[in-house]
Amino acid sequence: MGVQKTILVVDDASLVRLYYRSTLEPAGYRVEEALNGIEALERLPIMAVDLLIVDVNMPQMDGFTFLSKLRANESTLASIPALITSTESGERDFEAARAAGANFYLVKPVEPEMLLEFAAMLCGVPQ
Amino acid sequence: MAEFPVLTEEEFRRLCEYLYRRSGMIFTEAKRYYVERRVHERMSATASKSFTGYFARLRINAQNESEHFVNALTVNETYFYREDHQLKCLSTDILGERIRNKRKGGMIRIWSVPCSTGEEPFSVAMWLLENWPLVDEYEIEIVGSDIDTKALEQANEGIFGKRALMRLSPYLIGKYFSAMPGERWSILDDLRHSVHFSRVNIVEPNETRIQGHFDVIFCRNVLIYFDDASRRIAAENLYENLLPGGFICLGHTESMSRISPLFEVRRFADAIVYQRPGESD
Amino acid sequence: MPLVRKPTGDSAAPQPDSAEVQRLLASANPDERWAAARAAANVVGGVSAIAAALPTEHDQRVREAMFTSLARHDTTESADAIVGLLRSDSANLRTGALDALRIMVGARPGLLPRLLSDKDADVRILSCELARSLPDVEATRLLCVLLTAEQEINVCAAAIDVLAEVGSGEALDTLRECARRFGDSPFIAFAIKTVTARITSQSTPNRG
Repeated sequence: MGVQKTILVVDDASLVRLYYRSTLEPAGYRVEEALNGIEALERLPIMAVDLLIVDVNMPQMDGFTFLSKLRANESTLASIPALITSTESGERDFEAARAAGANFYLVKPVEPEMLLEFAAMLCGVPQ
Repeated sequence: MAEFPVLTEEEFRRLCEYLYRRSGMIFTEAKRYYVERRVHERMSATASKSFTGYFARLRINAQNESEHFVNALTVNETYFYREDHQLKCLSTDILGERIRNKRKGGMIRIWSVPCSTGEEPFSVAMWLLENWPLVDEYEIEIVGSDIDTKALEQANEGIFGKRALMRLSPYLIGKYFSAMPGERWSILDDLRHSVHFSRVNIVEPNETRIQGHFDVIFCRNVLIYFDDASRRIAAENLYENLLPGGFICLGHTESMSRISPLFEVRRFADAIVYQRPGESD
Repeated sequence: MPLVRKPTGDSAAPQPDSAEVQRLLASANPDERWAAARAAANVVGGVSAIAAALPTEHDQRVREAMFTSLARHDTTESADAIVGLLRSDSANLRTGALDALRIMVGARPGLLPRLLSDKDADVRILSCELARSLPDVEATRLLCVLLTAEQEINVCAAAIDVLAEVGSGEALDTLRECARRFGDSPFIAFAIKTVTARITSQSTPNRG
């Protein structure tokens, strides 16, 4: 049994955060939450995070702006794997996600199996 | 010890989410006891029989309950060296960055707004004298501003009661205050004259702009009382008052995440502060 | 310590007039564009000028100031300009527009209903958020009206999340019906179950 992996969910919708928590915790992940990119930037420096799940549309700072700032950071924070979730299935957010440095892009609502599969993959947890 | 309603996890979560959305205050599980006590206080004050009933009152802001609750949650007493971790951050990290592009003898301007009856700006002055090795090498200007002219009058007088001094050591009290009859202390003239007090409404750019530009702004526990529109305008005003590279400190339960994206987040050992981007002067 | 006695604040620079605002909005200097953006709310033609400049303004801070001016101006013209940006390809502009609308929606009664019936699902998704700025009763009513007819799953998800905060007993029937329509979606099922439990426990105070 390896070290517990920590996932930071950045989404302003409380039910989405609760839903991810209810899927990820039973699978053994530790789940932290932030309501938008600014809060995530405040808390990341003191959290060891293995994966970010980041929504796009959030108040004050959207997911792409947050991710771009993170990737531009000089510390190890810059390379944390990030899954972008968006309500958009079209091209525009997909391209923006790539440009911002996302590792993967999932369209909401995210099925629990999909969430677990990607979490395991991006956290390096063998399945 | 008084019994008070223990909030269920769900209720606590909902309340914290509500507080965050309305006022921008952040409370985590670690502060549960603190929050519950205030809930109990307000439930008694409003004769609410259940948390559900109280929460409904809060949500519709019956009889200004929103403001009463936020008031209850912030320690409204002002006293010397309150939230001193930020003062520590000032002397340890913030000023170090600010002086990088200043010549010796250059000006450092610090703004305390709201300053209430003066404890905060005077604390900055004292703290720097006591803890910043370079304090004599720069011209330090400290401005204290508030919307409340009565508070400013008191600040100008520089006379304080016992509670205001409760965090200060006898050494500091002896050094910077002279005792007066009736358990009051008068701050030394030199220190009293070193802070300039002015009346300012931080939502009015005409009033904030004339205060000039600052290296550091302390704006603690006031933005939580504003509505979204006023908060936004105040944030823009404060942004204008910062020099490029200047820092702003909020109260320790506050976060820019609910207020404004104008500032960059800077996390130091002692505090999370926010910075106006750009080259230092 | 050389503590200085006299303040050395600048006197406030005179605020730009209409022509000056137009000129400054085109400046290469973001500080000048910032000043113009803030002043624009108070000058003739300011709103149109900002509305025209916003979509191509690349400095995020200047944008923020522009949105604030539009929101404060609080007219149909400024509201329309902001709503237009809700449809933007840029997430940053969408966020800016939504944050600006948040402070307008309370004072403009027709605005949210209009947004919630927009033919663009993306606009409806974002607009559900704005219901939080209205009194709970009205927010619940508007969201239930939306949910009853809504076919897009993510719009429903957004509405349900807001109902988690503001929803009252009036929403229960609508939620039940929505669960039937989107029963296949694990997230919707979870969301409705959570909100229903919350609303139900709310109306039965369990402590005296």
